[in-house]
Amino acid sequence: MSADLDGKADAFVLGLLDERAQAELEVEMERDPNWCAAVARARDRMLPLDLTAAVLPGAAALWDGIVPLLAERRPVSPVQPSVANQPRPPRRWVPAGIAAAIGILAGAVLGGTWLVPDPVVVAVLVDEAGNPTAVVEDFGAADARIRFVSGVDVPDDRQMQVWTLPSAKMGPVSLGLLTGPQGTELDPPRLPAPTNGQLYEITLEPLGGSPTGRPTGRILAKGLAARQDEI
Amino acid sequence: MDTSAMAETDAPVDLTDALRRCAREEHQALRLILENEGGRMLGIAQRMLHRRDLAEEAVQESMVQIWRKAHQFRAGEGSARGWIFAILRNRCLNILRDGRRLESLPSETLTAMQDARLEAAGAGLDALGDRVALKDCLTGLEPATRRAILLAYVGGFTHGEIAAIQSVPLGTCKSWIRRGLDLLRRCLS
Repeated sequence: MSADLDGKADAFVLGLLDERAQAELEVEMERDPNWCAAVARARDRMLPLDLTAAVLPGAAALWDGIVPLLAERRPVSPVQPSVANQPRPPRRWVPAGIAAAIGILAGAVLGGTWLVPDPVVVAVLVDEAGNPTAVVEDFGAADARIRFVSGVDVPDDRQMQVWTLPSAKMGPVSLGLLTGPQGTELDPPRLPAPTNGQLYEITLEPLGGSPTGRPTGRILAKGLAARQDEI
Repeated sequence: MDTSAMAETDAPVDLTDALRRCAREEHQALRLILENEGGRMLGIAQRMLHRRDLAEEAVQESMVQIWRKAHQFRAGEGSARGWIFAILRNRCLNILRDGRRLESLPSETLTAMQDARLEAAGAGLDALGDRVALKDCLTGLEPATRRAILLAYVGGFTHGEIAAIQSVPLGTCKSWIRRGLDLLRRCLS
């Protein structure tokens, strides 16, 4: 075992890495047994501190609220692609990176041809548990696409809306409403060219979209963009 | 090896077996985990989130995650309990770091939340049992380093927050924590 690996595992377990690194290393646990073992060792080193927390009453009463969530959310496999025209399972490339690497594949994946223009940025959106959920490719010039790499649950009375944050001054801007977890063209307004580290996210909004023009509902997934010309 | 902690790591029920059964979609196994570990999970969540409603939400969502990910747990690579609590801690950290979510809370709640996290981190060392090796190893660290690690693990604070709390530059804080964790690892090995 290397000290570097164990040091990284400690930082990961303490939640001290940045959001993207944390999400990528979470995914890496499914692929790399050495990393997984280092994380497990780090968890067990700190576990006695968890055991100092009080045991509070009332947990069993939460069961009734948990049961209805189990049936719908069980994925068939760890990451199940829901887009038909992917030539290989997303697990092969989502962990690798790394949004940059995904961007390279995106041209072939999306159109079945390399003649598709390269996106300016690619953002891998992950859910609250760090699982990759969707990939946004922003081509600039009011052209962006989203593809889902895992299933999502959308209540009947809600609709997914995709957002980006071009700058703090502009605030969040809607890139479009989605009707389901299919790969889809978005309908963004004309915005400044997307930049490295720009935030993209999907929220659950009332049918027809956010009533305020800003995100109001629960965040399904979010991620930061990587510029494809800076690989 | 930290024998007393390991002894306590062994839960009254076989959590490894319960996770295996969750992977086979047996609801009863998940319920067993909730009944045996839920109280402690609520305690961990409440220590980080202060509010009971947020703690319950964190535990509930963690149970769903445990159900979904049970097939990923590899017996033999760490304790089932550590795996379960890690899912809960991640959920708590996500709530703590969701700026928009926190913005919706009244400022007095946020202040109380911050105070509770600081207090819990401060009490973390003393709360460890005397025969727990982690306590001896933490005690052997410089006080500022020890506090930084407890603020991160028990309170769920970020590097930036810890640097602000301890009034030191971010780089200093990161370096304290990194060195402190290296020393802890050596001490515990």
